Amino acid sequence: MSALLTRLIPLIGLILIAAIIVITRRAWVPALSHSVPSIWRIAGITVAEARRRRVVHTVIILVIVILLSMTFFSYLSPQEQSRMIISSGLTAITVFGILLSIFIAAFLIPHEVETRTIYAILSKPVRRFEFVLGKYVGALIVLAVVTVVMTAVLVVVLLVQARLVPSTPDSVFNPNLGAVLFAAFMNYCALAVLTSLIILISTMTSTTMTVISAFIIWTVGSMQSTFRDLAEKAYGGAKVLLLVIYYVVPKLENFDFRQEAANYMPISIVGGWHAVLLGALYVAIALVIAGIFFNDRQV
Amino acid sequence: MKTAETVLQVKGLTKIYKSLFTSAGVKAVDNLNLSIRRGETYSIVGPNGSGKTTTLKILLGLIFPTAGTTSIFGKSISDLSVRERIGFLPEDAYLYDCFNGEELLDFYAGLFGYPKKKRRQLVDELLALVGMQANRKVPFRECSKGMRQRLALAQALVNDPELLILDEPTSGLDPAGRHQMTLLILEMKKRGKTLLLCSHFLAEVEEVCDRVGVMYRGSLVAEGTLQELAGGPTQVRITTDKLQPQAMDAISRMASVVTVEGGAITMGAEATNSSVWTVLEKVNEAGGEVLEVLRPRPTLQDVFVKAIGASAEENQ
Amino acid sequence: MRTYRVSRWSVWLFVLGMLLLQVPLQEAIHKARPDKFSPTRRMQTGSMFGLGPTPAVIASLGGFRTVAADLLWLQMERVWDSGNWFALLPLLDAVTQLDPHFVLAWKTYGWHCAYNLNAESETIVDRKYWLDRGLEILQRAVEANPDSWEMVFELGWTYYDRAHENYRAAEYVRQADKMPGAPSYVSRMSYRVYEHIMDFKNLFPAMQQALKEHTDEHAHQRIVNRDIEWWTKMRDDPQEHRRQIVIENTARQQRALPFYLFPNDPYWVVCEHDGLPSPKGSKVCQACGRPLPQALPIGSSSQPARG
Repeated sequence: MSALLTRLIPLIGLILIAAIIVITRRAWVPALSHSVPSIWRIAGITVAEARRRRVVHTVIILVIVILLSMTFFSYLSPQEQSRMIISSGLTAITVFGILLSIFIAAFLIPHEVETRTIYAILSKPVRRFEFVLGKYVGALIVLAVVTVVMTAVLVVVLLVQARLVPSTPDSVFNPNLGAVLFAAFMNYCALAVLTSLIILISTMTSTTMTVISAFIIWTVGSMQSTFRDLAEKAYGGAKVLLLVIYYVVPKLENFDFRQEAANYMPISIVGGWHAVLLGALYVAIALVIAGIFFNDRQV
Repeated sequence: MKTAETVLQVKGLTKIYKSLFTSAGVKAVDNLNLSIRRGETYSIVGPNGSGKTTTLKILLGLIFPTAGTTSIFGKSISDLSVRERIGFLPEDAYLYDCFNGEELLDFYAGLFGYPKKKRRQLVDELLALVGMQANRKVPFRECSKGMRQRLALAQALVNDPELLILDEPTSGLDPAGRHQMTLLILEMKKRGKTLLLCSHFLAEVEEVCDRVGVMYRGSLVAEGTLQELAGGPTQVRITTDKLQPQAMDAISRMASVVTVEGGAITMGAEATNSSVWTVLEKVNEAGGEVLEVLRPRPTLQDVFVKAIGASAEENQ
Repeated sequence: MRTYRVSRWSVWLFVLGMLLLQVPLQEAIHKARPDKFSPTRRMQTGSMFGLGPTPAVIASLGGFRTVAADLLWLQMERVWDSGNWFALLPLLDAVTQLDPHFVLAWKTYGWHCAYNLNAESETIVDRKYWLDRGLEILQRAVEANPDSWEMVFELGWTYYDRAHENYRAAEYVRQADKMPGAPSYVSRMSYRVYEHIMDFKNLFPAMQQALKEHTDEHAHQRIVNRDIEWWTKMRDDPQEHRRQIVIENTARQQRALPFYLFPNDPYWVVCEHDGLPSPKGSKVCQACGRPLPQALPIGSSSQPARG
């Protein structure tokens, strides 16, 4: 991409965003004082509902069992053991986090519409976008709790193994805790992005289609580099199309630091920070569009 | 006399559900006009598919009209200040089934921004009002149908609304449950609330409503007070015994008498009290026994069936 | 009927603005994490033994590469004990494709070719083939892990121990020594490569350099000082010096003997003066010490046959 375009595109984007925020300030500034408590209440009921449902407890128990079973690789060297536990542990957290994210978020809004519990809420002074945001915040809180629990179990497993596994000068069990915690945090950020997209899709379609679309987004988002490689090799219209897909589809690979953690490679904090910012942008885009679609949706 | 303020106004409301594959659509509501005054209890009755629930959903902003306007307290439903003054009891009590009554009411009260202390007070009052205090900790999914409807009514009352919209409030309830719900509705009426009811149960509508609108195929085919809908005076039916044929014959020739069959004398709607007395005296003179004198008013069911029938004929 | 306090077009423009803003952020991420996103560093394709990118692509779906690598590594451990050394190749190939930063896997892979398969081969051509494969694998490993001192050292060690290309080995070992995390034995190796070929011109400066490093490690300092003392005595005592050269040359000739049969083999450079072969990359003849006619630049490998 030419240097001029690289500078121009974000500048145009910033100007657009700033202009819209200023122009529409009379609309959103007064709404904030009402919206935040409403969003918080809806988030609270979402968390309470998730707590009562068994799927969250089941997932946590499953992950704990899987993480504990990773202590069985005693025939490997300490170095191999630490790598194995870190990579498999983080992957288990990622996979179950994604499954939970899909099955919580995909059912949030469609389930309310299908069971018509939404009638009693929308007849109250709650704006539709507050409802969407509240559901999202609630899902985030549930995912945060689950991620913290799973990460804590992994850390405990690593610390216990570090004490139990006999090390040699050449081969040491290194729990690499800093990298593990960072990778888990970035994984949570990926879940936040994925959840926002699932909620966006759920405002447009049924639960089944939402679940299917979520799996597709997860798969495609994990292979973003492939689109970039293909775009580099393509030309003409195909190149443009591939680049558009590449830039529009959220890139979950940005949040993947499992390889770095497992292989004791240096972690790019700058890369992580940029990924978080990018994720925040995607979340904002998804929720704004979800708000628009849901506002027009007949329940 | 000062006319009461119009709380709810519907003008030219039309809703057409369009199919993806055909250009034609289903007209659920067709050019509906109605208005409800403050303090009034208005009921929309109609067969299944007549557009009652669709109308309510449009009023509440859950679906959007194809044409026409609605206003509540002079404003659009999208204005949040309107929703702070209304309460809605949905059909079949759709509430979160994993929470108990206390938690549900606390949640809904929270949506109005009430502080914790006020919410607690409100929850106690409402549970007492609907008779659910003893079952406040029972999860919604474990409640009976009657308990659910009462809780649903309680959530509709959480903000002490000026306008209460009730969709099939007694649907699925047993007679005792229906009676309890009717009493609650009457209590609300007594408190000066404006009520808009949708119901299949015409008997309860008769008990509570001031005005009724009959909907059929999306249109209002009849509207008015019960008296207005019932029409003018009705025929008189006198049941007698031991009346001789000659006497019957003589009575049949008297003014306002329509038919005399067996012991049953039917007098026309124009019959006055004095003409009724005259017939009764004649029966007495002829040695007959008066068993019963009736001047039945048409029930809402009669009005309903008549209005639907007339409308159906018109459409044909 | 529906009143929007914020008009729809302004919301879509806002969304467009945010979409545009994510472009430079993504580019910044690519620059910050070249190991993950740089096309030249990624090992998505290019299997050594014709496996193709299939395992990597399939495991990419959903981001399961590291776990897939782990599972294959465990399988490799099981196959190792069976003694079927050729069966290890596809497994190691897949593991290194799936996780190019799995240093141990690269080391095992390169070592397995350059040592095990090289030693097991019956013909000279085969031995050369496996040695070249091993070196090529380790070269790829260094490309995939440029920040790993272990990979660079492993490559240097293999050049020293198996290929006997001491000067190239010296380059890599010196490179590894400068990288963070390199232990003291790497420092010592950086001059041992010159001991082997009695290159005193480079040996003593390298030993002095090693002495300046790892000053807090007493063992390292002691060993280097001892080595300096020993080689100083060796250099200054002509009798002993000549004896060592003869011993080394004989040993070297014995090792190089099979390659006399292939004088045109580009792996070796033949000295014009005494006709003895020296490994390619040597600046001077291993036997007589005279400069070799075609000193190839350090870093160019022999012609590897692509698997």
